[in-house]
Amino acid sequence: MANLKVDVSDLNKSFGDNHVLKGIDFKVANNEVVVLIGPSGSGKSTLLRCLNRLEAPTSGEVSIDGRDISNIKTNIDQARENIGMVFQHFNLFNNLTVGQNIELAPVELGKLSKEDAAAQAKKLLATVGLEDKYDAKPQSLSGGQKQRVAIARALAMNPDIMLFDEPTSALDPEMVGDVLEVMKKLAKEGMTMVVVTHEMGFAKEMADRVVFMADGVVVEEGKPEDVFDHPQNERTKAFLDKVINV
Amino acid sequence: MKIRLKLFFALFFASLGLFAWQAPTVHAETTYTIGTDVTFPPFVYANSNNKYVGIDMELIRSIAKEEGFKVDIKPLGFNAAVQSLSSGQIDGVIAGMTITDERKQTLDFSTPYYESGIVMAVAPSSKITSLKGLKGKTVAVKTGTQGAAYANSIKDKYGFKVVTFDDSDNVYNDVKTGNSAACFDDSAVLNYGVKTGLGLKVVTKPADVGQYGFAVKKGQNQKLLKMFNAGLAKLKKNGKYDQIIKKYTGKTATSKTTKSNSEDRTFLGLLRQNQKAILNGILETLKLTIVSIICATIFGILVGLLGVLPNKFARGASTTIIYIFRGLPLLVLALFIYNGIPSLTGTKIPAFVAGIITLTLNEGAYTAAFVKGGIDAVDSGQMEAARSLGLPFGKAMRKVILPQGIKIMVPSFINQFIITLKDTSILSIIGILELTQTGKIIIARNLEGFKVWAIIAVIYLLIITLLTLLSKWVERRIND
Ligand SMILES: Nc1ncnc2c1ncn2[C@@H]1O[C@H](COP(=O)(O)OP(=O)(O)O)[C@@H](O)[C@H]1O
Ligand SMILES: [Mg+2]
Repeated sequence: MANLKVDVSDLNKSFGDNHVLKGIDFKVANNEVVVLIGPSGSGKSTLLRCLNRLEAPTSGEVSIDGRDISNIKTNIDQARENIGMVFQHFNLFNNLTVGQNIELAPVELGKLSKEDAAAQAKKLLATVGLEDKYDAKPQSLSGGQKQRVAIARALAMNPDIMLFDEPTSALDPEMVGDVLEVMKKLAKEGMTMVVVTHEMGFAKEMADRVVFMADGVVVEEGKPEDVFDHPQNERTKAFLDKVINV
Repeated sequence: MKIRLKLFFALFFASLGLFAWQAPTVHAETTYTIGTDVTFPPFVYANSNNKYVGIDMELIRSIAKEEGFKVDIKPLGFNAAVQSLSSGQIDGVIAGMTITDERKQTLDFSTPYYESGIVMAVAPSSKITSLKGLKGKTVAVKTGTQGAAYANSIKDKYGFKVVTFDDSDNVYNDVKTGNSAACFDDSAVLNYGVKTGLGLKVVTKPADVGQYGFAVKKGQNQKLLKMFNAGLAKLKKNGKYDQIIKKYTGKTATSKTTKSNSEDRTFLGLLRQNQKAILNGILETLKLTIVSIICATIFGILVGLLGVLPNKFARGASTTIIYIFRGLPLLVLALFIYNGIPSLTGTKIPAFVAGIITLTLNEGAYTAAFVKGGIDAVDSGQMEAARSLGLPFGKAMRKVILPQGIKIMVPSFINQFIITLKDTSILSIIGILELTQTGKIIIARNLEGFKVWAIIAVIYLLIITLLTLLSKWVERRIND
């Protein structure tokens, strides 16, 4: 299937005796936005991190753009250039300025000259609404600003898929909106996205598909209106009740 | 990362190469390295210019002149000299050493050049006049000497305890302070001491009479031994030998030391008289410190980085190196490298190089531990974020992790530099003439323990203060 961006089949992952992912099949089409939900500890982050091999799968296959990520012969650094990732805790490089954070990878990997990287960084900062923060140190930014810089940094490598692991969970409520706006903009531009989040509003509005995970298996998936309004599985129901009632 | 690592390696091996290249020159032009005692007057001691003089020194130098070879005198201390001889680090020992059957098992001796017996000396006020008076008392001797052997051979018969020291002045001091009731030493030595104002009195006739000989390692340096014998014979014939003996044991010897007794014994006077020796000591200490800091830092960073590589074997190697060299006492490591390894391989290691290797391994192990710790202390999310962008491990390390880790490590580096400076003093054990060994030698001559050690201590503190200020300045620049 030419337009399959992510193709995961029978993925298993164990940490010691802890069998975290139990035979996951997970596919994402080109330009599709998939929201991954599920209780804490169900393996959402682990699945996401297997997609760019921050975690090595115990067994099973992971391919991105037809490239076999789970094969150790694959040049993982090259593959990662096309897979952007945004972390819950931003992970901005503390020793660098905002501009340098965004320019580091394109320059170091020979994608752009210093000048071009700087120009691109400024443009990306403008799209996330932080053009005036180019020279700022990460420490001087608010959480919401940090996360938008982190998104800009990931975009600087011009990826064709973006992975978000609870990008708004560490933010004060008033910051969440700004970050979600940036993500919506990305989605509308046709970026392929896998998003782990508890923001059900975002899921309802933007997701092409919602995947519900529990205990290391995919329990239920479908269009957001189907999953949210007519959940088929008891566990999905229980989870949604809890999340929506808070 | 690659370029800098290469540079590190290049520097590291270049400095190693430099040392390796230095090593053979020790042997060139038939210069023989001769070990001797720090102080054993009248056979060997430093005069007020800190030049080594005495019967043994004049003999070996005159013989060298007669026979046409050069000598490089190393005042290692008696015990260390004999050990260095058997490990092949030096070519010969002349240190008022009595020829014994036991020593003949491992050493080849020259024809005897002096005859001496063991006598007992006590404090001037002591009531002890014979061996019988020693019952229940403690007796001081110097490690590895004939006096020590004699004392041990009769201690059960006369019921005394033996305490050993590495330097003669500690032996005499112990008797003077009353900790020990008496000491045993060669008659020539003690008679000379008494005459020159040592402050002890000799109360027995020479016993266990023995002969002094120059020694080489058994089966080695036979040419040197032959030349010594030939030279000694010539000196005896032409009267030079008698001249030397008379100079140090005759009446004139006394006048020589009256002069040394009238030395200015104030702090300033001591500093002035020993200016050159102390300055040389400081220079040697600084040289050792700087070279070791550079080598240990490079070695430590390499081993530390090895410990954070995503490879089990690399991490295992790092942990093992740290475990071994942090675990070994510095003293043991120094002796092992200087005396142990050469006695196995048969190749000499110059003391300075052995000292640098010792400090590099030991201080480097500590450095590696905090380099590893500093890197581990950087939030793991930083590495994940860098790798997720496609940056290879090395680049991520160099551009993101190390700059943050180094900031964490800076205080530890400063601390380690200061420790390295202090640890150079331990290298006095292998005879390196750095500040501490210089102090030992000055004291061996003038017995001004308190004042000289106070001077040495103040100098160390001054250097440490300078080093600290320098490091703080560097730290401030790094943090800006
Ligand atoms: N690096 C790790 N080492 C050991 N156990 C881990 C590791 N990462 C995650 N786990 C375990 O895997 C399980 C799933 O974790 P995770 O994927 O983070 O869940 P979620 O993101 O859905 O909350 C949890 O039990 C967690 O403790
Ligand atoms: Mg998670």
